[in-house]
Amino acid sequence: MMVSNKIILLVEDNPDDEALAIRALKRHNIGNEIVVAHDGVEALDYLFGTGIYSGRDLNLQPSVILLDLKLPRIDGLEVLRRLREDERTRLLPVVILTTSSEEQDMINSYSLGCNSYVRKPVDFIQFSEAIRQLGMYWLLMNEPPPL
Amino acid sequence: MNPEDLAKLRDFCRDDAAFEQVKQLLLQKVQPLELAIHQAQFQLEQQKTLFRVISRLREPIDLETIFHATAIEVRQLLKADRVGMFRFYPDSGWDDGEFVSEDVDPAFTSAMAQKVHDHCFGEQFAIHYEQGRIQAVADIHDAGLSDCHIQVLSQFQVRANLVVPLLQGHHLWGLLCIHQCYGPRQWQETEVEFVQQIAEHLGVALYHAELMAELRAEILERQQAEERAQALNQELRQVIIELRAVNKELEAFSYSVSHDLRAPLRSIDGFSQALLEDCSDQLDDSGQDYLRRIRSATQRMGLLIDDLLTLSRVTRSDMHLETVNLSRVASQICMELQQSQPDRQVEFVVQPGLIAQGDVRLMQVLLENLLNNAWKFTSKHPHARIEFGQIDRNESISAYFVRDDGAGFDMAYSDKLFGPFQRLHGIQEFPGNGIGLATVQRIVHRHGGRVWAEGAVEHGATFYFTLAEEEIGA
Repeated sequence: MMVSNKIILLVEDNPDDEALAIRALKRHNIGNEIVVAHDGVEALDYLFGTGIYSGRDLNLQPSVILLDLKLPRIDGLEVLRRLREDERTRLLPVVILTTSSEEQDMINSYSLGCNSYVRKPVDFIQFSEAIRQLGMYWLLMNEPPPL
Repeated sequence: MNPEDLAKLRDFCRDDAAFEQVKQLLLQKVQPLELAIHQAQFQLEQQKTLFRVISRLREPIDLETIFHATAIEVRQLLKADRVGMFRFYPDSGWDDGEFVSEDVDPAFTSAMAQKVHDHCFGEQFAIHYEQGRIQAVADIHDAGLSDCHIQVLSQFQVRANLVVPLLQGHHLWGLLCIHQCYGPRQWQETEVEFVQQIAEHLGVALYHAELMAELRAEILERQQAEERAQALNQELRQVIIELRAVNKELEAFSYSVSHDLRAPLRSIDGFSQALLEDCSDQLDDSGQDYLRRIRSATQRMGLLIDDLLTLSRVTRSDMHLETVNLSRVASQICMELQQSQPDRQVEFVVQPGLIAQGDVRLMQVLLENLLNNAWKFTSKHPHARIEFGQIDRNESISAYFVRDDGAGFDMAYSDKLFGPFQRLHGIQEFPGNGIGLATVQRIVHRHGGRVWAEGAVEHGATFYFTLAEEEIGA
C-alpha cells in the first residue's frame, strides 16, 4: 500500500505495546515512517524541534499522533494541552490510544481537543484491527489540516 | 367618743338624764359607723395585699418566693398564727403531703417539711376540695371532725382552721391553710372570701409554674436533641471525610487496575498471536493449542478486569434520584434481547406502569443484568417465559421481580448468588463472569433496598428487589 511519506508519531512508553503497534502497522502494509517517543518530553521535543530533536525540520509534522495517556515525566494530557496551545501544532490530529476507559480521562481528552479516543483492546487481533483502521483512516481518508 | 367631745355634749344638755339619753342615742349611731370604717379599712388592706400578690405573679420569680411572701402578708393581715401552703405528693392519691411554705408565729412550732399522712382526706374529701370546697372551723374540738383529722391538726397545735384548695388547673395541687393556735376563732365571711381570692391567684402562679416547668423540660429536651444532632453531625462529617479518602483511594486503585493490569495482558496475548502467526511452522498442533489457550485465558482475564471496573463504577458513580418508568426500561431491554436472537421463542410479560424513584442509569444496568440473566438461563429451553412485575404485599415499600422458567438454581446456594465472581453453573454450560448479580446487589443497596432470590433447579428463578429502605421491623 502506497501511503506517501506521511509520518506517524507513536507516543508509547510500554515497549511491548510499541512493538505490537508497529507489528500491526507493518502487517497491514502501512509502511509509513513511524517515529516513537517514549514519554511526553520526547514527544514535545520532536514536535517542537527541541532537546534530542533540536534542529529538526519542523515543516515535516506527523499526519497523526497516537498518544498514550499514562506516560513518564510529562503525561499524555499535558502533551495534548501544550500542542493545542502552540500555533505550530494546534491543528495536528491527535488520537488518544490508551488502556483507560475512565470517563474522566475521556472528558479531559476531548476537552483538551483530541480528535479521537481509542481504547486498546486486550485481544491482539482486535488491537491489530484497531491500529489498521487508525492507520488507514488518518493516513488515507483524512485530509490533514493545511499547515 | 373621746372625753372632750363628751364634756362638750354635757354642756349642751340641761341635765345628766338628758345627756345620758343623747349619749346612748349617739352611740347607737356611731358604733355601726365605726364598724363600717373598720371593715372598710380591712377591705382596703385586703385589696393592697391582693394587689401585691397579683403584682408578684407578674414578676419572674419562683413559686417558693411567691408562697413565702404571700404567707407573711396573709398572716399579718388576718392576724393568724400560721399561714401555710400544703402540697400533696403527686401520685399519693391525696393521702400524703407536706407544708412547702409557711409563716408562723414564733411561739408555735414550724409545720414545714413534715410528712403528713391522712388517709381519710385522700379517700373522702379530696374530691370535694377539687371542686372548690373550703373548710372553716372555729374550734377543732367542737366541729364534729374525725379523730384522725383532729390528730393531724393537733400535731401542729391548731385550734381554729381555715382551709382553701390550691388548684393547678382543675387538679387539686394542695391546700392553703390558715391556723389559729392560741385559741378558737370565728372566721368572718370577708376573711374567707379573701383567702379564697388569694388561693385563686396562687392557682395562677401554680399554673404558670407548671407551664414554666413544661417549657424548661422542652427547652432541655431541645438542647439535648440539638447536642445529639451536633454530635451526630460531627460523626457524620468524620465519616464523610473518611469515605472521601476511601473513595479517592478506590478511584486511584481502579484507575491503575484499568490501566496497568491490562497492559501486560495485551503483551501476553499479542506475542502469543505473533508466535502463532510467525512461528507456526516450528510449533506442532499441541504447541499451537497451548498458545490459543494462553490467548483465551488472557482475554478472559481482560473481561474480568472490565467487569470489576464496571462493578466499582456502579459503587462510585454519583446518584441522581428521579422518577423512572421501570416498565418502559424493562420493555426496551426485552425488545433488544429478542432482536439479538430473533429465533428464540421467549414470551416476555412486563407489567405496565411501574414507576419508582431511582437513578436512571443504575436502573438500566440493574434491569439489564437481571433480564440478561433470565435470557441466558432460559437459552437451553425451546420455549421460555420471562416476567417483570411488582409483587403484592402489605408493605409500604414496593418490591419488584424478574422471573424466568429456565435453568434455575439450588436454593442451598442462594447465599452465594450475589458474591462477585460466584457462579452456580459451569462456564461451558452458561458463559459469564459472575459479576452481574453482584452489580445488581450493589445498585439495590445504593438505593437503600434489598435483593433476594427464589429458585429450583430446572424450575426457573425469581429475583426480587426493593428500591428504598424498609421500616425496621417491617
